[in-house]
Amino acid sequence: MTTVSDLSAPLPATVAGPPDHRGSWIPTGAMITTRMMELRKRRGLMITIALVTIGIPTVFLVIRLLMHAFDPKTYGPAGGYDIYTGMVSGVLYIFGFIVAATLGATAGSSDLTDGMFRHLVVTGRSRLALYLARIPAGLAIIVSLVAAGFTIVCAVCVFAAPTQLNYNGVNVPVHLSRTGFESWAADHPQEVICDFPYRIGPASSIGPVVQNVPCRNGPPTSGPPPSEAQMRSAASSIAAMAYANYSQQFLYPSDSLMIKSGLWLELEAVIGFMVALGLSSLLGQRTVAVVLMIVLEVILTPILSRARIPHLSNLQRSVVGLATAHLAPGGLSVLGGGGGGGPGGGMGNPRLLPESTTVAVCVIVAWLVGWTALGAWRMMTRDA
Amino acid sequence: MTTTMLPSVSDQRADASQWAVETHGLTKRFGETVAVNGVELLIPRGCAFGYLGPNGAGKTTLIRVLLGLTHADAGSMSLLGYDVPKHRAAALARVGAIVDEPRFHGHLTGRQNLRLLAAAREPAARDRIEPSLERVGILHRADDRVSKYSMGMRQRLGVAACLIGDPQLLILDEPMNGLDPAGMHEMRDMILSLVAEGRTVVLSSHLLDEVERTCDAVAIVDRGNIIRQGPISELLAGASVAVQVECSEPDHARVLLDATSLGAQVEVQPEGLGISLPTGTDRDVIAEINRLLVEGGISVYRLQQVQASLESWFLQVTSRLGAPE
Repeated sequence: MTTVSDLSAPLPATVAGPPDHRGSWIPTGAMITTRMMELRKRRGLMITIALVTIGIPTVFLVIRLLMHAFDPKTYGPAGGYDIYTGMVSGVLYIFGFIVAATLGATAGSSDLTDGMFRHLVVTGRSRLALYLARIPAGLAIIVSLVAAGFTIVCAVCVFAAPTQLNYNGVNVPVHLSRTGFESWAADHPQEVICDFPYRIGPASSIGPVVQNVPCRNGPPTSGPPPSEAQMRSAASSIAAMAYANYSQQFLYPSDSLMIKSGLWLELEAVIGFMVALGLSSLLGQRTVAVVLMIVLEVILTPILSRARIPHLSNLQRSVVGLATAHLAPGGLSVLGGGGGGGPGGGMGNPRLLPESTTVAVCVIVAWLVGWTALGAWRMMTRDA
Repeated sequence: MTTTMLPSVSDQRADASQWAVETHGLTKRFGETVAVNGVELLIPRGCAFGYLGPNGAGKTTLIRVLLGLTHADAGSMSLLGYDVPKHRAAALARVGAIVDEPRFHGHLTGRQNLRLLAAAREPAARDRIEPSLERVGILHRADDRVSKYSMGMRQRLGVAACLIGDPQLLILDEPMNGLDPAGMHEMRDMILSLVAEGRTVVLSSHLLDEVERTCDAVAIVDRGNIIRQGPISELLAGASVAVQVECSEPDHARVLLDATSLGAQVEVQPEGLGISLPTGTDRDVIAEINRLLVEGGISVYRLQQVQASLESWFLQVTSRLGAPE
C-alpha cells in the first residue's frame, strides 16, 4: 500500500477541546428555543392545531351565543356548567390529546425525514440532548394552545352562564341550603311534585298525596285532590330526597373545578405529546405514529376502559387513557365520549374499570418515562 | 466474530497528532457485505485530500463511520488527534461535514436552519452565521425558505453549515453536485482558500478533474479497501508513460513497434498512435521509437509525451482490479 510520506510538512495542530459541554445530555436554552422555532414555523401544522384546540370550541360557543342572543326562548345560554363539562370532557380532552400527539410525532421525526438529523449529529452534540430539547420546546407550544382554548371555554361558560338553575325543567334558585331548598319546595309544590325526580315506596306517607296531584302529561288521578298543606309537606319531603342531587348542580363551574380541569387537560396533552414523541422517534416517521396514537385514544382506550375481560384486568389498567380518566375532576359530568373511555367523572364513574389513584399515577409516570426512554434510546443508537 | 477495539490506546494529546484523520483496520459491515474493509488511512493536516472511488466503493460509509453517524465494527480511528468515538464530542467540535446531498428543513429559511445548527454548537457559532452565508455566496437568499433553493444553493448552504463551527477539518461529500461551472469554480476557490487558512479539507468526489485541480493528495477506495493513497504528484509519477504519435501508416508503425523489445503497448487511434510505456521508462526510449519509425520509412509529423492525468491514472488503477467477486 502506498502511504502518505512526503506531503508538505503538516501544520501544527491548534485544536483545543470544545468550549461548551456538548457531550452533556442537558440541552441548552438555545437548542430549546431554536427547536421551538422549527416547530412553530410549520405553518400548516400550527394552523391545524390552533384550529382544533382554539377554533372548534370558539366557533361552537360563538354560534351558541348568537343563537341565544337572537332567540333566547328557544336557545339557552351559551355558557354554564353543563356546557363547560361537555366542552372539557367531550372536546378539549379528545382533541387536545390528538393535536398533542400530532405535534409530538412531528417533533420526534422531523429531523430524520428532513435530513437534518445528520447535520445535528455531526455537531458532536449529545444525541440525548438533541432528543430532550424537543420536550420543552413542544410542550411550550401545546400547553399554551390548550390553555388558550380552555381559557376561552371557561370565560364563555362563566360570563354567559344562565342566571337561574334549571333543575329538571324547573327554575330553582342556586346555592340553597337543605332547609332553604325544602322551604322553596314547599312554596312551589306543584312543580316539585310533578317535575322533580324521586322514587317513593308503596308504604310512603306521601304516596297518596302525589298520586292525586294533577300534572301536565301525567296519569289521570283517581282520588280527591290533596290539600295545600298536604302538598307543601309532600314537596318538602321530595326536596329533602333530591337535595343531594341538587347540591351538585351549578350555574357555572367553580374556580376549583376550572383549575382542576385545566390541569387535567394539560396532563392529557403532555401525555399525548410525550408518548407520540417517543413513538415517532422509535419508528422514524410521523404518519404511522399519529395513526397509532389516534387508534389508542379513540378505539382501544374506550374498549379497554369499560370491558370486563377476565384475567386481563391488570393489563387493562395499564392503559394510560384509563388512568387519566380516573384522575378526571369529580365535577365533570359523564359524557362517555370517545377517548380515555370518556372522562367519567373520575374515580366515581362506575362505567370504568376500577383503579386506585396510586395505580393511575404510576401508570401515567410509567408511560411518560417508558416512551421517553425508548425514543431517546432509538435516537442514540440510530444510524444517521 | 467481530471484535471492536475502537478506543484502545490513544492517550496521546490531540495537539501532538500530525494527522487530521487517522484510521487503522477500520471495518464496517452490513450483514455479509463489507463496506469498509480494514482501512488504513492517514490524512495530513492542512491539505486538500481527495477521496476517490467508483460508485458503491464505500466512500460515504467510511465518512459516516468517521463522523459517528454509524458505528464501526472493528478498528480504531481519530479525528484531529482525538480518539473517536471516545472523544467524539471534542473531535466533532472542530469538524464540519456534508454527507450525501445536503438536506435541511424546507420550511425554514437558510438562516434559520443555520441557527438551529449553531444552537447545537458553541455559543460563538451563532456569530459566524452571517460571515458563513456571505462566504458561500447565498447571503442575499438567506431569508428564503430552503424549499425554494436549487440543489446548488443547498450545497452552498451545506458548506455554510460546516463553516459556522469554525472547523479545522471539513469533510465534503460530492460538494460539486448541482453546481454550475461558475459555482464549481467558486467552490474550488473556496476550498483552496480554506486550505490556505490551515484547515484540512477532505473531498469525496467522482469529478477527477476537480479533485486533481483542488487536492494535494488522494486516496482511492474500491470495495471497501484503500488501494492507493498519497500525494498526487507521487502517484502520477508511478503511472505508465504515454506517448502520442502522429504519423503516416500507423498500422505499419504498430507492426514495427510490436516487433521491438521496448515493452510498448501500441494502439491505433483516430489521431495516430497511442503508445503506453512501462512506469519509469527512460526518455531515451521515446527517442528510440522515433528512430525506429523514421528508419522504417514512416513519416513522423508529431511525437509527444502526454502528461498523465489523475483520470487516466485512476482508470489504469481501477482497470487492474478486475470484476467484482
